[in-house]
Amino acid sequence: MSERLLTVEGLSVDLVRDGGLVPVLRDVSLALEGRQVLGIVGESGSGKTVLAKALVGWVAEPLVASRGVVRFRGQDLLAMPPEARRILRGSAVGYIGADPGSSFDPTLPVGRQIVEKVQAVRADIDARAAKKRVLDLLDRVHIPSAARRFDEFPHQYSGGMLQRAMIVDALASDPAFLVCDNITQPLDVTVAAQIMRLLHELRSDLDAGIVFISTSLPVVCDIADELVVLSRGEIVERSTPARLLEAPAHPYSQDLIARNPIIWGTPPLPVPAEASPRVILAVDDVTKTYVVPDRTRFFGTQAVKAVRGVSFAVHGGENLGLVGESGCGKSTLSRLLSWVEQPDQGRIRFKGQDIAGMSAQQLLAMRKGFQLLLQDPFNCLPPNLPIGRSVAMSLQIHGGLGRKAIAEQVRAVMAEVGLKEDDRERLPIGMSAGQRQRVNIARALILEPELLILDETLSALDPMEQARLLDLFERLQARHGFTYLFISHDLAMVRRVCTRIAVMYLGKVVELADTRSVFFEPTHPYTRALLSAVPTLEEKPFKAADCLLEGEPPSPIDLPQGCSFAARCPHAMPRCRVEEPPLVDLGGGRFSACWLNEPEVSRAA
Amino acid sequence: MAASIDEPAAIAATAVAATPGRRMWLATWSQTEFKIGLVLFLLLVGTAFIYPLLSDIDPTKLSVRERFLPPVFLEGGTWAHPLGTDQLGRDLFVRSLVGLQNALMISVAVVVLMFAFGATVGLVAGYRGGWIDTILMRLTDAQLSIPLIILAIIILTVSRPTPFSVIVVLALAGWPVYARVTRSVTLAERRREYVRGAKILGASDSRIMWLLIAPNILPPIAFVAVLDIARMMIFEAILGFIGIGIQPPTPTFGTIIADGRKYLINAWWIATMPGGFLFLTLLSVNLMGAALERARNRLLRGTI
Repeated sequence: MSERLLTVEGLSVDLVRDGGLVPVLRDVSLALEGRQVLGIVGESGSGKTVLAKALVGWVAEPLVASRGVVRFRGQDLLAMPPEARRILRGSAVGYIGADPGSSFDPTLPVGRQIVEKVQAVRADIDARAAKKRVLDLLDRVHIPSAARRFDEFPHQYSGGMLQRAMIVDALASDPAFLVCDNITQPLDVTVAAQIMRLLHELRSDLDAGIVFISTSLPVVCDIADELVVLSRGEIVERSTPARLLEAPAHPYSQDLIARNPIIWGTPPLPVPAEASPRVILAVDDVTKTYVVPDRTRFFGTQAVKAVRGVSFAVHGGENLGLVGESGCGKSTLSRLLSWVEQPDQGRIRFKGQDIAGMSAQQLLAMRKGFQLLLQDPFNCLPPNLPIGRSVAMSLQIHGGLGRKAIAEQVRAVMAEVGLKEDDRERLPIGMSAGQRQRVNIARALILEPELLILDETLSALDPMEQARLLDLFERLQARHGFTYLFISHDLAMVRRVCTRIAVMYLGKVVELADTRSVFFEPTHPYTRALLSAVPTLEEKPFKAADCLLEGEPPSPIDLPQGCSFAARCPHAMPRCRVEEPPLVDLGGGRFSACWLNEPEVSRAA
Repeated sequence: MAASIDEPAAIAATAVAATPGRRMWLATWSQTEFKIGLVLFLLLVGTAFIYPLLSDIDPTKLSVRERFLPPVFLEGGTWAHPLGTDQLGRDLFVRSLVGLQNALMISVAVVVLMFAFGATVGLVAGYRGGWIDTILMRLTDAQLSIPLIILAIIILTVSRPTPFSVIVVLALAGWPVYARVTRSVTLAERRREYVRGAKILGASDSRIMWLLIAPNILPPIAFVAVLDIARMMIFEAILGFIGIGIQPPTPTFGTIIADGRKYLINAWWIATMPGGFLFLTLLSVNLMGAALERARNRLLRGTI
């Protein structure tokens, strides 16, 4: 008799709290066959992870499965004795989680940990065969020089590589059923695109059924045969990707689709403000190298080249975007701009004045006109201060105002960013990320700055709150005439608000142009790769397959000679590996650092 | 997780316009342990400081006829000497109360001193880093390497033991622990985003150290310091016991215990009474300290 691989019928899971039950999943039913990919999409808090764990029979305190069954090849997983379930899970189920960084034991080589797992669940494989199997798999997930990597420790792997190792770990026992729980979430877009490409490749030669869970609709649509939409613990719609995108039935699904960014489609590009010739912030060939101890040698040090000769200028009233993936030097640059750290070389000028040459008093005055909003809303406010006093602190630092005047301004500015009067005595702890970010904005706004730098300010927020804050930024700009510098990894957000965009890769600006050119006629291969990797529901002008090679970004400690993107660039020429291309002016305010632009330059000249 | 969905709502519902300090006080006061501790503590301190003034019994007056009187709850005890008398006929109740006075004053002074000094050193070392950190921490290490008893014997035998010198010795022995703990939390704290945020706003180093970092890291350490009052009372008793604390005829816990030790078989109450007072004081201090710490944890977790 042929049993279905996995069926879930009427599953309800509750959370036991204070003696009562809080429903987490309600009446969930699913079915999965071998060689099929079932997508589950839902926002955070919709019960995805609880469902993912319930699928492998893992419902532990304080959760209880109050109703329903989970059948794996006819066996009821939830009713099984724990020991039998453990054995079944080890041999037939693979689980890939969202956090590869903490899934491995940091004190053991990666390869050994996977071999250990194989041997624990498969008695029929001996140590040598297990090692061979793991090596084969490491090769198959494109981990370069697998034999050497086998003996390396988790900290020597990058995030993307660890995720690949996790996939090996899950596949090593030849599972019949694979759960991928939000596997692309912690990764950079280009790395995530590479992982998705790998998963496409693997599914064609696996017999396993795959459950693919994600918050990102485009990612799920990309891989799933069928998908369900989960909202507040309930399945609100089941469909195929194509059908869902064409005709979403449930309002929640419609909302989910509407919330996805459109990059190449209809929404108008931000209108460049009246091109003000006034340069507010000028960054001139700024370089920062960190010296870190080399752990392989006594007293040895290594140089991390975080920012390598970056130049750009921010004009009054414009929105400049600075995009790049993690490790590209964005955060270092923001630290340099805010003058918390000093550059090794180069100059930063605020309204024409070199910051390095300022006296303490001038510096304090400059800080008033120049504010930076930090990324992490949970850590950026002093935890012991009621927020009213946090906001007041900005004014106290700069002095010159009485208690009453300060209280008056705090009240006004809190109202302006949408905080309630009652909030003044609250501690940051009880507030949502969005509210904390508003407090942060209020702290900067009260100083009436001219330039606001937003260092990933919105990336920790959910899309709704993000949209609301972007509206707030627009309103504030209209009223106060701010200039914004958005530092972000989120291309869609930058596309919405910025008039000019600088793209960074490994400490350098590789392309700088107006928003239209960057998105529609990118001149640098890395920009194209980045665009091809953005998860959107639209038909993209750039395909990841054409724009991005396998491989990881090189380490900023050990930069290769020549262009740093050469290793992943499909257009790399011999010259790229020897000589580093400079950022050249292509005319029309467009700059690009690639040898491919060379003929155009000579033609223009 | 679904658990996190409705939590902010619950918090919002309980959030009131009261200041955090007031909320924390209410949460502390609502704990029965705190009330018990406070009543006990006030009772002990009140008795220790007021009763000897009202009573006409001199704690140092000898009375050969009244030697070894047992406490009132034993056979032969009288209300004239509720806790009995010692080998020289001195009233143990009054002697213990005066001993408690000394113990309290010394231990509180020691804790205030070593907490203030240790925390300052730790905060400055941790925040400034570099050579300031190195110098301050080597100093701390040097101090830590001398055991308390040896330090006490050296200082208190060379100079005459007075309440002041006892305080200095105990504080000197105790501050390095506070410096170390404060430094390690400061190191973690100064990398937090809010510190960078304050720098960007233009806050000076001293503002960041004293108005931002200190209020965030010191309360838990201060709670430990409250519990340390108890430890310092014991150390004061130890110094008295080995004869290098406050000198007779002033009664201290240590000297009373040392005297009574010889008569432990026949008159066990002499050495036991100071112990009883010590126990009650420590109990009351610990009850209050623990209640305060719980209230602060709840405040920072956002549940009050």
